[in-house]
Amino acid sequence: MGMNEIQGYASFFMTIFLVIMLYGYIIHLYRSEKKGERDYEKYGNIALDDEITSTPVEDKSASERYKEENK
Amino acid sequence: MQSNAALEYDYSLAKKFTFLTILFGFLGMLVGTLIAAQMAFPELNYLLGEYGTFSRLRPIHTNTVVFGFTVSGIFATWFYLGQRVLKVSMAESKFLMVLGNIQFWLYFIGALLATISLLFGVSSSKEYAQYEWPFDIVVVIIWVLWGVNMMGLIGIRREKALYISVWYYLACFLGIAMLYLFNNMAIPTYFVSGGLGSPLHSVSMYAGTNDALVQWWYGHNAVAFGFTVPIVGMIYYFLPKESGQAIYSYKLSLLSFWGLMFVYLWAGSHHLLWSTVPDWMQTMGSAFSVVLILPSWGSAINMLLTMKGEWNQLTDNPLIKFMVLASTFYMLSTIEGPIQAIRSVNAIAHFTDWIPGHVHDGVLGWVVFMIMASIFHMAPRMFKREIYSKKLMESQFWLQTTAVVLYFTSMWIAGITQGMMWRAVDEYGNLMYSFIDTVTVLHPYYAIRALSGVMYLIGFIMFAYNIYKTMTSGKELTEEPQFRTPMA
Amino acid sequence: MFHWLEKNPFYFAAAISIVISFAGLIEIVPNFAQSGKPLVGMKPRTVLELAGKNVYMKDNCMACHSQMIRPFKSETDRYGDYSLSGEYAFDRPFLWGSKRTGPDLHRIGNYRTTDWHEAHMLNPPKIVPGSIMPAYDHQFENEADLETAYAEAVTVKNVFHTPYGPAFHRGQEAWDAHKSKVLEDAKKIAADMKDERVKAMIAEGKVPEVVALIAYMNSLK
Repeated sequence: MGMNEIQGYASFFMTIFLVIMLYGYIIHLYRSEKKGERDYEKYGNIALDDEITSTPVEDKSASERYKEENK
Repeated sequence: MQSNAALEYDYSLAKKFTFLTILFGFLGMLVGTLIAAQMAFPELNYLLGEYGTFSRLRPIHTNTVVFGFTVSGIFATWFYLGQRVLKVSMAESKFLMVLGNIQFWLYFIGALLATISLLFGVSSSKEYAQYEWPFDIVVVIIWVLWGVNMMGLIGIRREKALYISVWYYLACFLGIAMLYLFNNMAIPTYFVSGGLGSPLHSVSMYAGTNDALVQWWYGHNAVAFGFTVPIVGMIYYFLPKESGQAIYSYKLSLLSFWGLMFVYLWAGSHHLLWSTVPDWMQTMGSAFSVVLILPSWGSAINMLLTMKGEWNQLTDNPLIKFMVLASTFYMLSTIEGPIQAIRSVNAIAHFTDWIPGHVHDGVLGWVVFMIMASIFHMAPRMFKREIYSKKLMESQFWLQTTAVVLYFTSMWIAGITQGMMWRAVDEYGNLMYSFIDTVTVLHPYYAIRALSGVMYLIGFIMFAYNIYKTMTSGKELTEEPQFRTPMA
Repeated sequence: MFHWLEKNPFYFAAAISIVISFAGLIEIVPNFAQSGKPLVGMKPRTVLELAGKNVYMKDNCMACHSQMIRPFKSETDRYGDYSLSGEYAFDRPFLWGSKRTGPDLHRIGNYRTTDWHEAHMLNPPKIVPGSIMPAYDHQFENEADLETAYAEAVTVKNVFHTPYGPAFHRGQEAWDAHKSKVLEDAKKIAADMKDERVKAMIAEGKVPEVVALIAYMNSLK
């Protein structure tokens, strides 16, 4: 198999892979918000409420949160 | 990291880089206006002897605007909004402060020396990457310092979720690092040849068609990660903050971010249509350029929808005007770019003045407007004073908007005229015009463009004056304004 | 699962890097060997021509001139045969340019001569009425940097195996031995020129920038 073919296949499958990821992402985002598991739009407030004294929108790191959810 | 009562955001670095933004902006635009005038009035080439020709000055214009003005603007806004959206002060880490100051001085001195080197014709001749290898090394060091600083600040953050702007700044850092490093790979001839000739000279690691590919993969994406990504990062913070409206859709911003990351890099080869690079790459470049409309417009529409129900702000807050116009110009140039990347259009547009026209509606209308708006927003917070004059801001806005419109309309006409004349044939299939005919016919458009340059430059001086007066004699503020920027 | 990215800067940065380097890896890297081949029998530039190329870079001629003839009849009629990838195989950097304020120069050696260039570089509008190109008078006074050009030839020979032949070596001695050859080439060009400054410099064993530049222009065919 020549370089050209490898390139062709690599490009084709990588593109398909990334498209699936992207659509998966969209579905995931909207579904988890619909189910009420997450509220993404609250993160928009990070820009508005950005005094150093204000409470962080998310004050737990991902690993802490993961531990909590999987107790 | 013990928080105490007096903890405040530290704007000292943001201030320093703001001064540099204004300084380099002025220099870059001054040179730009001069070279625009040279194309209409060639006698202006002889103002500085050998050092004043169009060809020597052009790289100084482009590099000062890209690596002087825009990059300073990126640093200034990062050192402002980075702290705010991460809810951590630079003052909390001595290390980061020292690092930031080293970055500032190295950058300032490096930029001056690099500009002088270009004036003397020390150039590796790759567009927007003309600096020779010693300056490239300085650029890399500065960039790494910034990266460490950014990661450091992210490391000590209180706000665990990264705000949209932070993604874009991160991407800007990573993208430019990768592109700059690969494109500037060169071998200094002095060392290989056993100490012969100039120590500054180098040869590119890549030759011919390969070099062209790497260069335009760089050239196109330096625009992506220097002129698009960080500026989008700015508007995602400053527009919501200034208007007091949360971003219209956080989810849309996620999608357009990843879309942009994936698609942008492919489009570089549209600079090489009809050249000797393999056909499939050219097609790839064209196709992805068109796809690129989606993520670009995703961001722009998100901005405009953020203003939903609040359009009255557009009439009474000139800062909102700047930002809304900036996103409009962003939409314009992200639709214009893909059009030019279509093969048949490119056959006419390539090598003509339509290309600088396209670059400038993006840069003058989007990048510079957004950076100026950011500085207007930051100034009262940094200097604890009101903006000196709202009126001056209004007139600056209209002057510069007119200038941008004059610039791109004259260059559209010039470019298409040129492209059509180059290919025009008579009834027997002979070329109708000699090359010089296609030069002389452009004189009026070059003159209009030079005029628009003068107007834009005057606008920028008004901006600099307004900021200067704000610092020195604006009305003092007792507390930091929350949303709308106070102005007299 | 996905939201996790926006809270983990490290993985976030890693994800960005993967996504943005994908295009470069697929698009650019694999074609390197293929499009790097020179045309059969093509010779690399002489040291004088290389010095001229460096003048071309120093005065940044590519700000206004391209070296890329596209495969259209209107271009081949005007400039000559369309450009081939192999013709550029020794060009480091490539000098295609991106703007034609002036005409393409990729085959200028076919239709312009030394004396035409001399007169044109001194005063472009006199030769081409209406031209907006500035005069490059300083090229008649500045000395071309031949040593750096030689260093470049040695470098590309050693690092990239550009076929420069066995006479090209590192070090001062090799350069001193080769220098007379370069001066000879320069004399041939200068013989067709009228400018007194050029004649005086050549007589002193120096080469003005314009002579090197013209040697380069003449080699573009």
